[in-house]
Amino acid sequence: MKNYESLVKKIFPVFAMLLAISLFPVFLKNNYYLTIGCQAMLYCIVALGLNFIVGMSGMMTLGTGAVYGLGAYTSALLSTKLGVNPWLALIPVLVMGWLIGKGLGFPSLRVQFVYFSLVTIAFNEIVRNLLTNLEFTGSGTGVRNIPPYSIFGFEFNTQLRSYYLIFAFLVVFIIIALRIAKSKWRRAFIAVKDNPEALEVSGINVSSVKITAFTLSSIFGCVAGALYAHFNRYITPSTFTTDLSISFVVMLIIGGLGNFWGCILGAYVVAFLPQLLRSAGTSYKLIYAVLMMLAVILFPNGIMSDIRRSVGKLINNGKGFSKGGGIGENRTGN
Amino acid sequence: MLDVENISTYYGNACALYDVSFSVTENEIVSIIGANGAGKSTLMKSVMGTVRPREGKIVYKGKDITHVQTHKIVKSGIVYVPEGRDVFTKLSVEDNLTMGAYSKPAKAKELNALHEEMYEMFPRLKERRKQMAGTLSGGEQQMLAIARGLMSKPDLIMFDEPSLGLAPIIVDEVFDRIQAINKRMGISVVLVEQNAFMALSISSRCYVLENGKVAMQGKSSELIDDETVKSAYLGM
Repeated sequence: MKNYESLVKKIFPVFAMLLAISLFPVFLKNNYYLTIGCQAMLYCIVALGLNFIVGMSGMMTLGTGAVYGLGAYTSALLSTKLGVNPWLALIPVLVMGWLIGKGLGFPSLRVQFVYFSLVTIAFNEIVRNLLTNLEFTGSGTGVRNIPPYSIFGFEFNTQLRSYYLIFAFLVVFIIIALRIAKSKWRRAFIAVKDNPEALEVSGINVSSVKITAFTLSSIFGCVAGALYAHFNRYITPSTFTTDLSISFVVMLIIGGLGNFWGCILGAYVVAFLPQLLRSAGTSYKLIYAVLMMLAVILFPNGIMSDIRRSVGKLINNGKGFSKGGGIGENRTGN
Repeated sequence: MLDVENISTYYGNACALYDVSFSVTENEIVSIIGANGAGKSTLMKSVMGTVRPREGKIVYKGKDITHVQTHKIVKSGIVYVPEGRDVFTKLSVEDNLTMGAYSKPAKAKELNALHEEMYEMFPRLKERRKQMAGTLSGGEQQMLAIARGLMSKPDLIMFDEPSLGLAPIIVDEVFDRIQAINKRMGISVVLVEQNAFMALSISSRCYVLENGKVAMQGKSSELIDDETVKSAYLGM
């Protein structure tokens, strides 16, 4: 009975959040906001994946933009040039994610810390340059006329329809991410960041743990990229820059590294804040940067982690004993 | 069961171990004592494969494990409890223990039984099962590191300076548990220590390392009365 209660307690916030996201179009019917809403959900998927590497395993990768882009191009090229059904194209997209994971995970075994970030920036730039210069990928103009997803003749060709399609994918990825947060993988990922040497002598192959984190993350990124391609209907290489990669990491930092709720919140902040600041005109970038810096100063562990900690403090106040939850900022889920 | 034959290990050009041999038989406690920098930890790491010996051979249960990957060595039954209480500070006590059983996937039921077994041996850990390992005291972290090592049901467990930085009363407790692990669970133990007196008093045989070489070896009961050992390591 107690188990059941705690399960409800854990699932309820997720459910409430999904309900809020699904009701979003009811209040903001305007296509412009719907587009940003879709963008935010795609960011959520990428951030949830990125959380495995940056948040849990503590490896700062700045190549996620390229992962997102490769997913988008794989699906876009297959469906425009070869006429492959977009749904079927998801299989090569998954394979692409798997390959990138293995490929990017490998240097992480050799180089560490900031040097690893540099390798991933290089990866991002190489991919962007290839996409810009290869004729096969449509060079600078990118790929146009990408068909939308469709089920039995029902096309996901409007903003509203796409919104619910992406929402369905988001639900699936949230379930996967929460499942992983309950599995032995979460422990292994956190342990990789914490103490790789002790992990090795506990009989765990550190290399395979790192590569698993990368593979998971790139699969999330690639699928989100593919969804983006079929939602936006055209893609250009200039989208998938190192700037985008940095934005993905910013989402995690703003929300809270290693924190499930932080990923979601961070994705929404990064997607919506620039739009809200539109009215500021040319000084919007300045305001954006200042807000970001303020967020980092005021919430050094990420907005979600710090909010949860102060709520926890309020609840525990007077009990005198706080179960050591203070350094739990790296916990995901619950 | 473990035979280390004439290994030499280098860090770059610096020789850390030179022509070292030692062996452990079933069900015994072997201690390795020596000063700082004598090569004790390097010897352990060479056995585990986190540092590779340049020469020599390591044989475990008749199999050459000199070039086997670390996680496979653990799977074959050797566990190393590293120096300085290497626990996963950001994971709970419970999760730390579960990590120890990673190499031998167990069903939830078996895993629970293993957890309970550890809590019985280390009751303090049970009280703190949901707590982050980083918030434990030094002695508790050492107990946790030991318990985590036992989770994979090893046949041989190697402790690297388990008494390091612990209060004398806790040191007694740790050594008491190490003896219990050997007697009750029938696990062979390699004990690397600077606390020579404690190490000699619970082990059956002892090796003395000096500057990367085995300077002396023999029965602990004899070494404890040896004049050189007395003056160099026991301060008598």
